[in-house]
Amino acid sequence: MTEYVMEARHVYKTYRIKGTKKEDTKIVEAVKDVSLQIRKGDIKLIFGPSGSGKSTFLRCMAMLDIPDKGEIYLGDQCLTKPGVDLNKARARIGFVFQHIYLFRHLTALGNVELALRKVLKLPKEEARKRALAALEEVKVTECINKYPSQLSGGQAQRVGIARAIVRSPDIILLDEPTSALDPELTGEVIDTLRDLAKEGTTMLIVSHEMPFARDVAEEMIFYDEGHIIETGPPSLFFNAPNTDRAKQFMTRIINRTTRE
Amino acid sequence: MFEWLFDPRYYPLILQGLTLTVEITLFGVFLGLLLGTLLAIGDIYGGKLVRGIIAVYVEFFRGSPLFVQLLIAVYTVPAILNLQIDHYLLAFLVFGLNSAGYQKGYMKGSMQTILDDQMAAGTSVGMSKVQTLRHVILPQAYRIVIPSWTNEFCSLTKSTSTLAFIGLLDLTGAGLSIKGATMQILPVWIVIGAIYLVWITGFSKIMDIIYEKKKIPGVELIMQ
Repeated sequence: MTEYVMEARHVYKTYRIKGTKKEDTKIVEAVKDVSLQIRKGDIKLIFGPSGSGKSTFLRCMAMLDIPDKGEIYLGDQCLTKPGVDLNKARARIGFVFQHIYLFRHLTALGNVELALRKVLKLPKEEARKRALAALEEVKVTECINKYPSQLSGGQAQRVGIARAIVRSPDIILLDEPTSALDPELTGEVIDTLRDLAKEGTTMLIVSHEMPFARDVAEEMIFYDEGHIIETGPPSLFFNAPNTDRAKQFMTRIINRTTRE
Repeated sequence: MFEWLFDPRYYPLILQGLTLTVEITLFGVFLGLLLGTLLAIGDIYGGKLVRGIIAVYVEFFRGSPLFVQLLIAVYTVPAILNLQIDHYLLAFLVFGLNSAGYQKGYMKGSMQTILDDQMAAGTSVGMSKVQTLRHVILPQAYRIVIPSWTNEFCSLTKSTSTLAFIGLLDLTGAGLSIKGATMQILPVWIVIGAIYLVWITGFSKIMDIIYEKKKIPGVELIMQ
């Protein structure tokens, strides 16, 4: 038995950005030899400059992008071995997208229910009960019959979180859950994440919400140019990071936050 | 001029013709949708060979007149296969296959506007690609495609008038018979044309109502 809920071992991932001309095609090395271990109840936060590959790494963890090299473990199961039932594995992982990606033809309730019905094959009443409980947990009970385009950004993202937690996954991966929202709407999503943290939910979050990070993260991971540059508790980063790059980045971020 | 209109002997003829026209159009659009959906999925997910075959298929059915396709189906295919095949059956198939050539494009277009993010969302909750197609992508794509579908229905209805020239009694065929019997050329075609017009306009209106009813906020065709 492994002590980790999830683990990445020496993961690599490159992808191409196609330009208008053939010469313009760029190869981006988004993940270069990244290893990471997450224990039950851990809350880890990845941050770093945009375009550094954080999101790609997170998608690799969920096997939404398949790593070029290296292994991803979900508990004892190696997901990068050929022949693994990835759908079954993904059913045990919750994923929250930066741009939310709700199913646009389904109501808030339908979004949360779908996987319970089609993946876990729960009977109708039970699926409904669990979906309603999840929506209650993220505090969107007033608009469960609205379609995604009728929800505010904050409501939509909370439905996105409900969709991720309703299956009681082993871990929830969140890819910049607040960065696509208007600033005044990030608070309600952050509050939801704080609630989840209180309940001991295992989470790996890509985010730049520094106050939130300081309060709930056990470990912060500074990520740049496809590498983990530095890891440590929030106190380390908020006082004196060891690397210059992390220092510079923290200075910039904290200045930006205080200026706002 | 229009005395024949009040002669009940011609009514069964018109009714029979209209029935074939309606049947073959509805069947053609339906088969075209099923097949067009499969072709669209094949074109998006298939390998080079599959995509190549689909491209040839689409170019053939879009690039040659429906009438020529009908002639080939009715007069050469049975001979080559050395089989007696019902002309009605062949005509039904040609209309479905032809429509699929067009509907593949409509389906692919409407699927591609939603494919990437909705597929990621579907697989992220543990559904397979097939399940995501079935429960997420297609229900949205079908709603988006309804207006193109209405166009396809109009154009296919009008194409059924070629059936008269391979010896089947469609609405135009009925017109030809009545014209032969009454020798009233313009009045007959005015009436026949009006029947097409009423049917096409009426059905299009029904489709528009269905589109409005089925429309979901946020799931619609974005016109550029």
